[in-house]
Amino acid sequence: MISSIRPYRSRLDALSERATDEVVAGAIGALSVVAFGALFLALPTYSVFPVVTFALAAAYGWYRNQGATAKSLTFLATASTVIILGLIVVYLLWKSLLVFRIMGLDLFRLASPFWETSKRTFALTPMIWGTVVTTLIATCVAGPLGIAGAIFIAEMAPPRARGVVKPAVEMLAGIPSIVYGFIGFNVVNPAMSDYLGLVSLGSLFAVGLVIGVMALPTVVSVAEDAVTAVPDEMTDGALALGTTDWQSIKSVVIPASFSGLSAAVLLGIGRAVGETMAATVMLGHNQALPDPLYDVFANTETLTTLIASQYGNAITRDDFMSALFAAGVVLFVTVLCLSLLSRYIEARMQSTLGGST
Amino acid sequence: MSVETTVNGEPEEQIETEWTEYGFGGDAAFSVRDLDVYYDDDRALRSIDIDIPEESVTALIGPSGCGKSTFLRCLNRMNDRIRAARIEGSVAFRDRDIYGTDVDLVELRRRIGMVFQQPNPFPKSIRDNIAYGPRKHGDINTGLLSRLLGGDDREREEELVERCLRGAALWEEVSDRLDDNALGLSGGQQQRLCIARALAVDPEVILMDEPASALDPIATSKIEDLVEDLAEEYTVVIVTHNMQQAARISDQTAVFLTGGHLVEYGDTDQIFENPQSQRVEDYITGKFG
Amino acid sequence: MSASHASSATIEDDRSGVARSAATTAVGLSVLTMLLAVANVLNWITTDASVASVALSTLYGVALAVAGVVTVAVGLLSASAVIDANANDTSGVLSGLPVGLLALSVVGLVASQTLGYGVAIWAPAALVCAVAAFLFGSLAREDLTATLPWGGFALFVAAVLLAGVITPSWTWDPRHLGVALTGTITVPCLAFAASLATAWAAAKATQGFGARGRQAGAYLLIGANALFMLSLLVLLVAFVVEKGAGHALRGIHLGPGLSVHVPFVMNGAGLGYDIDGVFPAIVGTFWLVFGALVFAVPLGVGAAVFLAEYAERGRFTTVVDIATDGLWSTPSIVYGLFGYAFILPRLSPGGRPNVLAGMLVLGFMLIPLVLITSREAIDSVPDAYRDASVALGVGRWETIRSVVLPAAVPGVITGIILGVGRIAGETAPIILVAAGGLNADPIRVIHGFRFTSSPPFVANDALLSATNALPYQVYAVIETGVGGSESFGWASAFVLLLVVLCFYAVGIATRMYFQRKLER
Repeated sequence: MISSIRPYRSRLDALSERATDEVVAGAIGALSVVAFGALFLALPTYSVFPVVTFALAAAYGWYRNQGATAKSLTFLATASTVIILGLIVVYLLWKSLLVFRIMGLDLFRLASPFWETSKRTFALTPMIWGTVVTTLIATCVAGPLGIAGAIFIAEMAPPRARGVVKPAVEMLAGIPSIVYGFIGFNVVNPAMSDYLGLVSLGSLFAVGLVIGVMALPTVVSVAEDAVTAVPDEMTDGALALGTTDWQSIKSVVIPASFSGLSAAVLLGIGRAVGETMAATVMLGHNQALPDPLYDVFANTETLTTLIASQYGNAITRDDFMSALFAAGVVLFVTVLCLSLLSRYIEARMQSTLGGST
Repeated sequence: MSVETTVNGEPEEQIETEWTEYGFGGDAAFSVRDLDVYYDDDRALRSIDIDIPEESVTALIGPSGCGKSTFLRCLNRMNDRIRAARIEGSVAFRDRDIYGTDVDLVELRRRIGMVFQQPNPFPKSIRDNIAYGPRKHGDINTGLLSRLLGGDDREREEELVERCLRGAALWEEVSDRLDDNALGLSGGQQQRLCIARALAVDPEVILMDEPASALDPIATSKIEDLVEDLAEEYTVVIVTHNMQQAARISDQTAVFLTGGHLVEYGDTDQIFENPQSQRVEDYITGKFG
Repeated sequence: MSASHASSATIEDDRSGVARSAATTAVGLSVLTMLLAVANVLNWITTDASVASVALSTLYGVALAVAGVVTVAVGLLSASAVIDANANDTSGVLSGLPVGLLALSVVGLVASQTLGYGVAIWAPAALVCAVAAFLFGSLAREDLTATLPWGGFALFVAAVLLAGVITPSWTWDPRHLGVALTGTITVPCLAFAASLATAWAAAKATQGFGARGRQAGAYLLIGANALFMLSLLVLLVAFVVEKGAGHALRGIHLGPGLSVHVPFVMNGAGLGYDIDGVFPAIVGTFWLVFGALVFAVPLGVGAAVFLAEYAERGRFTTVVDIATDGLWSTPSIVYGLFGYAFILPRLSPGGRPNVLAGMLVLGFMLIPLVLITSREAIDSVPDAYRDASVALGVGRWETIRSVVLPAAVPGVITGIILGVGRIAGETAPIILVAAGGLNADPIRVIHGFRFTSSPPFVANDALLSATNALPYQVYAVIETGVGGSESFGWASAFVLLLVVLCFYAVGIATRMYFQRKLER
């Protein structure tokens, strides 16, 4: 938005005239990028040639016309993000094509048999259910606790405590998931079987709890930013009318930061959906629906753990591997939808809030 | 009640601030004695003594950074929100010390309304903005349950919204779009909405912190007319850096000068026509400030 | 209901009174009970233990009974106007819902499990009670709805505990669920729930109900939550340190000279070492992160410069925004799959896992992290700087290079550090594309370069071989028991945590330093 109101940039561009040799260098650079792409896909060892030509062209351009070269190079970098995402999409789809051909829509069938690799039966339903259950449990932990924590840090904590707590929470967001997994495997799983008499180690419930705790700092941190972003004047306005602090938080601060808060929760959900390691080491990898369906203490499988735990077995079989890629497609589509949803909510809130900034 | 100039005051301080004794009729809404405000180590206000009368407009003028807004925010304890601020001395509202230990801030602020420099409507509809205070105080009940059980105050709310918007001279402009988001209004309309919102909780005093400084001349004149009307019912204390504005709308004027001194306080006509001190005269005539 | 706000109300708040101090005591007692219950769940105190020769469940029962009685009494006194309060006349739906839910679960569980009625009896009974409780909770005076149900619940739990209906040796097998709930966990959980309820109710009473009462209640809950959350997270870190530090620092000795020898960090694993160590894993993680940085930082920062400085908002930037969001949120295991399908076959014959592929995949993951933070940093450079530079006749790229980028560097560096912290701990993609067992020796990347006669003319066997990495090491300990003991795993987890948290600490400290500098 800001960039559109910097008119001088476009004017400056028009002023700079391009000499022929610069255009040639640019063309060579562009061609070598295309050639690199083609060669890397087909004959990767030969892709060294376009890399060298590209480097030469870029060096020449840098020497002749730094501005234009810099602009092209940064454009290339920008385009690379789109290209990478495109490649991910294409390769996931392409590799999962086989299992779609074998299973068709039965990939999501609602009745057993679900997963019998020896009979080429690969239905993802149990894994999707496992992901849904763990995500729900994790969201129930991370959502309310995270938002309450954010409100505490932003609105209630004395400033000195806030200066310590906020960075601490951000640091805790960095604890790698395998560490959570290690704790879950060695501490939570045994405790669950002690307290709840679980027959098998590992359950969707325990995984959901651990993932929820893991997502908690992320949710707190993002939600706190959203709450802090509510201008003080708005809170002042409520307090000057004689409301209590809590009333002003509830009826002004939370509604005004609603988009940020929901983005925080969606982010937490996204993390929970994509979380792999903690779930992989904690679960028992039983590719079946729990019986009954609502038995959250069952030991089944999620989409991510399916990939991480089964890929060693699948490496020699195309159809099996393809099923794992299908699980990847489902995951990818889910988190992409979540991130688009949060973008949409934010955009909508911004348009309703108008010029509130 | 007449002004006692030397209560708690140190004599040197009195001389330094060139305090001008002035008396007025009527009761004092606020009696401020020996008020000092510090932000960390900076002293923003020095030994302020002032009595602000009921049902009139008192203007606080002075150059920027003289502490007039700080003083205003002392009157409803909004300074408590600034953690670095430290306050000494006493401020009495209707003979009760508002900095006492057992003061209920919520009740205090309900009775002393405030309008801020920047219009700050809530990102809600116009109606919800006005009804916000009464709803929070439980005076108006439009919740789901009360609607189901018929104990709904919808009509009273309608009436209140109209009364407050008329009171803030905004009714004509927005009566057909009460459910629109308040942030869609113009700056001047937003500010009058904030005034209407303050009226809705039925305050006894309205504090205004440069309410027209962010507005264009037409919106400003509307706000000024409004302030004069409000003074018939409410005690109004208004901070402004615009001397013409102070001269037009206020009954009393207090002049603050750099360093947090209250230099002169009295009848507006007197201050502007016949200031007692040279510094105030210089400031008013534009030689300094 | 507006009685409390009649104009006769004074600005003084009445906080005195026996009832309010009794309520304060009840809050304190409830909080203590909550802490005891938490310690109990964490197994610091066992449920069948006794404190000062009183059995723990009796202690819970007595504390809850006292708190419950006080809460109920304050509510009744307030409602009968014996004591001053500013409660509302009705409580509203938000107060009714939890009361209804409480009745639903208590009546449902007691009727179906304790009394053993069939579903035909317990379900309607629970429903009727829940509706009645909901109506009471929504319509009655606030001081009653805030205290009676919750105090009553505490009294009920106290009775259950004191009468020995639920003891530490009690068990319950809910039908269909594969669990057997033991008294060991049920007793503290019930005590926790009941004391939380009385703490909340009594906190409201301390402020005489009304808006201020609700504030006190809400602040108590939110404060307790914050405390709980922070202690949980601190406890996690402390736990890993406690479990792992001992093993990680085993055999540490000084010398020769000023050097320190930490065998666990500096040794490989294998027969040649007295203490097996994680040095190869550390080196592996270093090279993976280094390679990812070399690959991702130019692309990420370059894209940020283009988006913030050159691009006009339009369809292209929207696509890029979506792509960035997509890359940012794509689960790491999906990156692993992508690397497996796209990169592995192109880098090594037979598609064996290798370091270079790991670098590229982690680089892909790092790009959006670097891009987003760098773009924010560049966007936050004030336009006035650019205008000033351009007004002096300096070109756009010169302006970016000499004015914008230097001002944005702190933000960019912070973003990179935080991003590195994140990818250093990534395990899932490494399993798929780069990892292979515990190496006895670290990979030797620098010595691995050699020139060849056929394209691509440069080869490096070290880059094309599998490596170990810290997160993979922890995983391997769990999955395959490689590296032996659990304590080896804890020590690896400790080293990994230390490395990652150091990156985060440095990143956050840098950011705070520059923020403070900007604010001044």
